[in-house]
Amino acid sequence: MFEKIEMMRMARAMGQHAAQRHVVVARNIANADTPGYRAQDLGYHRATTGALRVTNARHLDRPDWSPASRIVTPDGETSPNGNSVSLEEEMLKAAELKRQHDLSLGIYRSALDLMRSSLGRR
Amino acid sequence: MTDPVSPLRLSASGMRAQSQRLRHTAENIANTDTPGYRRKLVTFEEAIRFGRPSGEVEASRVRLDRRELPRIYDPSHPMADAEGYYLGSNVDLVIEIADSREAGRSYEANLKMFEQTRQMGASLLELLRR
Repeated sequence: MFEKIEMMRMARAMGQHAAQRHVVVARNIANADTPGYRAQDLGYHRATTGALRVTNARHLDRPDWSPASRIVTPDGETSPNGNSVSLEEEMLKAAELKRQHDLSLGIYRSALDLMRSSLGRR
Repeated sequence: MTDPVSPLRLSASGMRAQSQRLRHTAENIANTDTPGYRRKLVTFEEAIRFGRPSGEVEASRVRLDRRELPRIYDPSHPMADAEGYYLGSNVDLVIEIADSREAGRSYEANLKMFEQTRQMGASLLELLRR
């Protein structure tokens, strides 16, 4: 029922994306010493299926906030055993993810607060 | 967080594999002076669960280092042959120490990831509590 509200959908999609990327980062770190493993990442991919198309510049764009994304394998330097995971980079990504996740939860929470106060409750 | 491939399990598999590697390193270091001891090696590979690659990591079967054993001259040694030589172990302490350091670092990275996953889950549940 909350999906109708743009802000909450946005926050939800952001949180989902953060959670999915978290899985990828965790897999990279677990495989930091596996020979031949290539580091993966999750790229943004704006889903356009089912969304309305804007035919006039004055029409309001209604983006489809879904966390659809695809796994990419960036080219990086590999160590002699063919592994391309850099622990420092993964740690950086993990910190960024944590921040994103916290942000999305914060937005979601304040949206809930907003609705609660509009209902006249505290 | 409801993903079938949970980051908690991934991190846990990483920690398990690294601690196994550390165990074999410790075994090698303990046997540096054992005559005829061959260094044990493990590599990592992707775990197969129910016939499919799961993304988790696990340590492979133990293999022995095929490097030649050094011949050490010590006629008083009980295992010395007629010429006074016996075979030592092919453990190189420098390699073992470097290996254990690396395993420790990777273990820590996995642990940090585990901790962060837990925190993220907890803050998600915090939404429900209000």
